[in-house]
Amino acid sequence: MIVMRAVDKTMTCAEFQDSLPELFESQADLSGHEHLRNCENCAALVRDLEYIASQARLLLPIHDPSPAVWDNIQQALRQDKPEPPPTARK
Amino acid sequence: MSLTAQKTSNSRATGVLTHGTITKERFVLMAGPTQPRPANQHMRRNPPIAGEQEAIDKAREGDGRAFETLYAMHKRRVYSLCLRMLGNVAEAEDLTQEAFLQLFRKIGTFRGDSAFSTWLHRLAVNVVLMHLRRKGLPQVSLEETLEPSQDDGPRKDIGARDLTLSGSIDRVTLERAIENLPPGYRLVFVLHDVEGYEHNEIAEMLDCSIGNSKSQLHKARMKLRDLLRTGQRKEQIA
Repeated sequence: MIVMRAVDKTMTCAEFQDSLPELFESQADLSGHEHLRNCENCAALVRDLEYIASQARLLLPIHDPSPAVWDNIQQALRQDKPEPPPTARK
Repeated sequence: MSLTAQKTSNSRATGVLTHGTITKERFVLMAGPTQPRPANQHMRRNPPIAGEQEAIDKAREGDGRAFETLYAMHKRRVYSLCLRMLGNVAEAEDLTQEAFLQLFRKIGTFRGDSAFSTWLHRLAVNVVLMHLRRKGLPQVSLEETLEPSQDDGPRKDIGARDLTLSGSIDRVTLERAIENLPPGYRLVFVLHDVEGYEHNEIAEMLDCSIGNSKSQLHKARMKLRDLLRTGQRKEQIA
């Protein structure tokens, strides 16, 4: 059984974690949040989520498609024509 | 501590996700990319590439060599996007091919209101979403978002001393964890945190509310945390 532990007088861990999506989206600085000053576990959670988001932003496109993709595109293009630009439609 | 997520400018909810898979009607698929907002972060992330404009101009006139140049410039990003969204190499290659074929057909409609790469990536996202929609959408079921498993929440950890992730995750590990996300989570996470789309854009693409997009993203990050921490524990034991 999971026991919720209130670490400050105003907010339980469950309440704090329920509010996290909006707190993150508000771009607020959470370091001064009263609950985090008193709850090491929630502070670690916030640090981890921030870390995950920051690392995701650094992910680079590292994968190249196989050469067969371009071969197939070329083959298809031989039977295809581009749509004319808007000015040429008149 | 501040998570630098983008604040949405549009609070209008476009729909509500319900338990189960997304229905045809509620899964908006655009035939081509809309012209994105010029000042969004995609412009910052996708600066013009040398020689790109010339290649675009020539490709619009049907120059095959110019199109090949555009393919060489953008194949990696388009394929990586498809692969991250789908988690499957064969499908990702098929859809990369489809995205570039659509590019060839639609390049005449590119108005230059946004960076070309932004426009192309939106086109690729639409191709992937259309593909998932054709498959009947089991892969983009959002049910796990609404009824997360016991593993999804952090509350079981309350009171437990455990590892923290900060500074310890390399790119390969994170990529692998993203691959292991439930598909519904993965879509929103990749679109928002990796590709930089804002919640109002994701809500439009997936025909869900902005609130659901935010909620899904949060749960995706929580699930990733679980996956990464589990991996760390296994490494420690080994």
